[in-house]
Amino acid sequence: MDVPTTVQTALEDRPVSGAVCLEAGAGVGNTTAGLLAAGASRVYAVTNDPAHASLVHERVARDEPDRTAVLEADVRSLPLATNSVDILTAHGLFNVLPPATLDAVVSELTRVAAPGCHLVVDDYDPLPDTARVRDLFALENAASELADGNPALTFYPSGVLRRLFVGEGWEFDRERTLLDPVPWTNRHLRAHASATRTAASRVPDERGTALAEEADRLAAAIGEESVGTMYSLAFRLPE
Amino acid sequence: MKTRPLGGTGHDTSIMTFGTIALNWLEQEGADQMVELVLDRGVNHFDVAPMYGDAELKLGPKLRQHRDEIFLGCKTQERTYDGAKRKLEQSLTRLGVDHIDLYQVHGLEYEHELDTITGDGGALEAFREAKDDGLISHIGLTSHSEPQLILDAIDRIDDLETLMFPMNPVVAGKDDADHDYDAVLERADEEGIGTLGIKAFAKGPWPSTDELPEGDRPYANWYEPVDTPAEIEERFDFAAAQGLTSVVSMGDPKLMAMVLDAAQRYDGMDEAAQRSLIEKLRHDESPVPEQLHH
Repeated sequence: MDVPTTVQTALEDRPVSGAVCLEAGAGVGNTTAGLLAAGASRVYAVTNDPAHASLVHERVARDEPDRTAVLEADVRSLPLATNSVDILTAHGLFNVLPPATLDAVVSELTRVAAPGCHLVVDDYDPLPDTARVRDLFALENAASELADGNPALTFYPSGVLRRLFVGEGWEFDRERTLLDPVPWTNRHLRAHASATRTAASRVPDERGTALAEEADRLAAAIGEESVGTMYSLAFRLPE
Repeated sequence: MKTRPLGGTGHDTSIMTFGTIALNWLEQEGADQMVELVLDRGVNHFDVAPMYGDAELKLGPKLRQHRDEIFLGCKTQERTYDGAKRKLEQSLTRLGVDHIDLYQVHGLEYEHELDTITGDGGALEAFREAKDDGLISHIGLTSHSEPQLILDAIDRIDDLETLMFPMNPVVAGKDDADHDYDAVLERADEEGIGTLGIKAFAKGPWPSTDELPEGDRPYANWYEPVDTPAEIEERFDFAAAQGLTSVVSMGDPKLMAMVLDAAQRYDGMDEAAQRSLIEKLRHDESPVPEQLHH
């Protein structure tokens, strides 16, 4: 499968070849594919979403059974040994983590990292006030808060994540811009509208219906928008 | 308009090359005006072919008037010595000039064609003879085919000085060997071969003619083009930022002013913006090579 250029760029200066890797928040498997393409000896693709787990298996792991393991698990509690991973990646993971979970995730990722481990964290800067997609994401967050008590999305500035990991003992290595602007395509917006609808269906009154309808309307009205930036941070755990 | 050295030819080509197929869709007066327009904007490299309708004939008058300002590329689909020689003579006659700066093998598609072209009695013999006789100055090749075939051509044609091949963000985002024109660009740079990018503005192939008859297409173009100033500028910037010597304009004259505008304003494109464009189009079907062969 094609490895996105964002993933290639984030990994190109990391010693992936021969390394044991963990992709935290495997999504649809793009970074897992990137790690395999870059010569990883083994990739643990972790996701807590059963649909994503089967998708990653189907798209990537099935063709590389000896080098890939798809683990359905919470990133706050990884089924991996302490000090066991050489390269850690989190590509677009943190924006789906509510602020209250950050400490637990950072600490768990640090636990499984071997001395000298490399860490790559790719995510989105907060969107500018003028971005139209902010309204759609706000609706998604409102539906998620009402349904589950947590926001669906939080865009952390790179400095916030940088300080978190440095505070946990990681040495900051570099930051680069992966996307400027970020293309929020029609496909993305429809996916976010759909996520809003799913959360809204758990809101037990007419507010849910209103949120779902407004999300669909907004996604259609915006169509697509290129706005904001995606960054890549790299860290190293001291030997 | 900025210029870049066209490989080892000694010519500095404007970063936009005028694809003169656009003239085919215009009456003579309009064709004359279009040539004046692109020259006025700083374009100094024109590309023509006998198969572009009557573009050679319509280019002729203004070409002769401005011969010193135009680096003229022409090409032939003939693969044999006799065929190529005849086509070259025909082009010289139709254009009304005694010299073509760059003569290209047009639309190489198959390995067996490369065998014919490079073999005894092949087109390259006619090209080289014409070069010795002063009818042409440089030899080039164009292809929309597999990148590996173009790489083979580089290996087999020692005196190749330019290449024309597809380059756009949809192609750049694909990892497979069928779309690895980056490898061609890299190799051409190593060998000092000038590079001309086509299909920079491709949005996708046209729907089948059952769905959309040719006469109902809004643009006279091989592929469905992007058609807003912002998209055209974005596509131009992307192609030019890949390191091509020059980006060839598309076929429909209605879009020419926007391409000229983008070319004049070109000031690089940073890598994050290039990735943004690739990412935006990552799920699109590649407009190369299917349905786009000339």
